[in-house]
Amino acid sequence: MERQMASSTRIEKGTTIVDVVGQIDLGSSPALRKTLLESLNGTKRVAINLSAVKYIDSSGIASLVEVLREARNSNKRLVLFGLTGAVLQVLQLTRLTGVFEICETEEQALGT
Amino acid sequence: MDFHLKLIVPSDPRFLSIARAAVCEVGTICGLSEELCQGVTLAVDEALANIIRHAYKNRYDQEIELNCQTGPNQIVFTLLDRGEPPDPARICGQPLDDVSLSGRGTHLMRSVMDEVHYERVPEGNQVRLIKRLSVTTEG
Repeated sequence: MERQMASSTRIEKGTTIVDVVGQIDLGSSPALRKTLLESLNGTKRVAINLSAVKYIDSSGIASLVEVLREARNSNKRLVLFGLTGAVLQVLQLTRLTGVFEICETEEQALGT
Repeated sequence: MDFHLKLIVPSDPRFLSIARAAVCEVGTICGLSEELCQGVTLAVDEALANIIRHAYKNRYDQEIELNCQTGPNQIVFTLLDRGEPPDPARICGQPLDDVSLSGRGTHLMRSVMDEVHYERVPEGNQVRLIKRLSVTTEG
């Protein structure tokens, strides 16, 4: 399992896509938080690709919640897509599946 | 098969992945499904993270003793630290609102594990996480 967390950003159809890889935990979530907050700059729409995230804990969830809050405050749209079973399980346990906009694929995330 | 695994984990977040890998393997050996292994791993990871953040105030030079004791009917994970005792309000869990940034770690632990016990012992603070094994999950 990919241990190190890494992320990269690209633009597709006017949407900033943040591709996240690896495990998101207490050690890596601060860097992810910073990247995600920065991704809101200069765009009206951010999609976070979690298809390569094999583990996320509550600190990672908190980072997602914080960027969602910031997106809402600035009238921007945030979508999660490609959720693995592990990520979906944590979102379900924390009762957040109804809070985030979630898509299965990048195509769906760009198309909504 | 009953066994005991003991790890001394540095209170540095870089080592959380090592603890997670060990816990996940313990779950697999005990016959837990992949989903239950993920859940148990998450619960132990959350307990470790809470110790690092709250008991040790993000000091990375301390130690956490993680014990995994398996039995015919359950797995018991015991974490021991020598830091600040936990805040009773925090360990009881808080109601979650949709965009709360805190309180989810404790909630996750209590959601996944069958029992969560916080105790003060002579060596320090101890949290016990217990997952019962069903007959069908045993290997």
